[in-house]
Amino acid sequence: MTDPVTTPSAAPAEVPAGTRSLRLGIAGPVGTGKSSLIALICRELADELSLGVITNDIYTDEDARFLRAAGVLDPERIRAVETGACPHTAIRDDVTANLIAVEDMEADFAPVDVVLVESGGDNLTATFSPALVDAQIFVLDVAGGGDVARKGGPGIGRADLLVVNKTDLAPYVGVDVPQMIADGQAAREGRPVLGLSRLDRASIDQLTGWVRSMLAAHRAGTHTPVDPGPMAPHFHLEDGVEHAHSHAGEAGMVHEHSHAEGGHSHTHSHP
Amino acid sequence: MVQNASELMLMLLADARLPTGAHTQSAGLEPALNAGMPITDVPRYIRTRLRTVARVEAGTAVVTRHLCLSAGPSGGPADLAAMLAEVQRAWAARTISPALRETAVLLGRGYLRLAGRLWPESVPVRALTDAGRGGSPCRAVVLGAVAAETGLSGAQLARLIGYDEAQTIAAAALKLAALDPVSASQWVLGVLGEVDTLVAATADLTAIDEIPATGAPLVEEWAQIHTTAAMRLFRA
Repeated sequence: MTDPVTTPSAAPAEVPAGTRSLRLGIAGPVGTGKSSLIALICRELADELSLGVITNDIYTDEDARFLRAAGVLDPERIRAVETGACPHTAIRDDVTANLIAVEDMEADFAPVDVVLVESGGDNLTATFSPALVDAQIFVLDVAGGGDVARKGGPGIGRADLLVVNKTDLAPYVGVDVPQMIADGQAAREGRPVLGLSRLDRASIDQLTGWVRSMLAAHRAGTHTPVDPGPMAPHFHLEDGVEHAHSHAGEAGMVHEHSHAEGGHSHTHSHP
Repeated sequence: MVQNASELMLMLLADARLPTGAHTQSAGLEPALNAGMPITDVPRYIRTRLRTVARVEAGTAVVTRHLCLSAGPSGGPADLAAMLAEVQRAWAARTISPALRETAVLLGRGYLRLAGRLWPESVPVRALTDAGRGGSPCRAVVLGAVAAETGLSGAQLARLIGYDEAQTIAAAALKLAALDPVSASQWVLGVLGEVDTLVAATADLTAIDEIPATGAPLVEEWAQIHTTAAMRLFRA
């Protein structure tokens, strides 16, 4: 007899077997383009994958309404979770409300391939608990300052993918994109970094390629959720897991991109 | 054995750090303020909740605990589940607003998720999780089962519900209005006598028919309005 109570929260009782989606978290500071990134993923992948979106707003349901208005997904598949003004808590210390929302989404639209969970914009230390998501993207943007990637932190250093968004704005805000990406790579020990612009088709293809590869790894059981957690970038046990994952992650496009910029990583120390 | 286990259990369950999703809740304060209630009325609002909504919840929880403990070893989770479904119906009949019921059921899911992980072998908890797929139990019923499992007395259980009600409202007020945080603690201190009254009125209840029917129409109406409010910090 199976006891639904003792199953880990990663496979909750409410979700029948076989309907467990890839739960993908999107974190990053306010205004970096998390909602737009989700709209982009939906626009690109909604025809081939069954998607759902959970938003965590400071004032719900601003982001949910933005996404519904974007018309990229059935509005019923976009739901908002209130956080009681605690967006950090809702994805990290007490993920209950988000887990319930994800499970309901999976149950109502079974089978769902990917549920995207958008964090309410918070600071550089806010990352998802592995009890809530299988993988996470951390989003920065060039307009937030070219030095932010260099500051590091758990999301920048250890999220499954770091996106440097709005690269098309770089000339207007005086940011050196290759340098910013190199800073991100230096902070991430080889984990993928993607410079993204909604106007740059190649970068969009790299993003969707990464999502597809993550879904494939999730389904194959080869992806292990890692916890960016507190600042511990040199914790070798988990590093090993992550390295294994990023090489097996079929994120070829992203990696090529990384290596193309890799030469800049040593310029990290210049004044 | 842990000394004074039930006291420590009470502290654990009353701790805001308990992961049940409670940080999404204002116990109706946000809709009340949106409806024009002045912030200076918060202490009176807490008293009103303790005399109405919280009294229904405490009575429901205490009766649930009693039934869990008196079910006996032969009963088994299925019989107990049927009995607890009766309690749930009695609670629902006394909680008119669908919004209040939905909120209580959502909180119940959060507590049950936690209880199922912490006490997976518990007969009272199993009675709820096994039957959970159809109708999820409300928070009061889940807390009653948890109290039976963890050795809380009826008085401790009622005190937990009263204290949590006051703290939820006071803490939410700090997010919703410009206040000195010390005021929130003063408000809670100020209503402790009211919590005692709640405990005295509910701690010894044993029968479903004895569960108080003390709804508050204005709280119910505000809760309904909140379900369609556009700018919300709190779920309810």
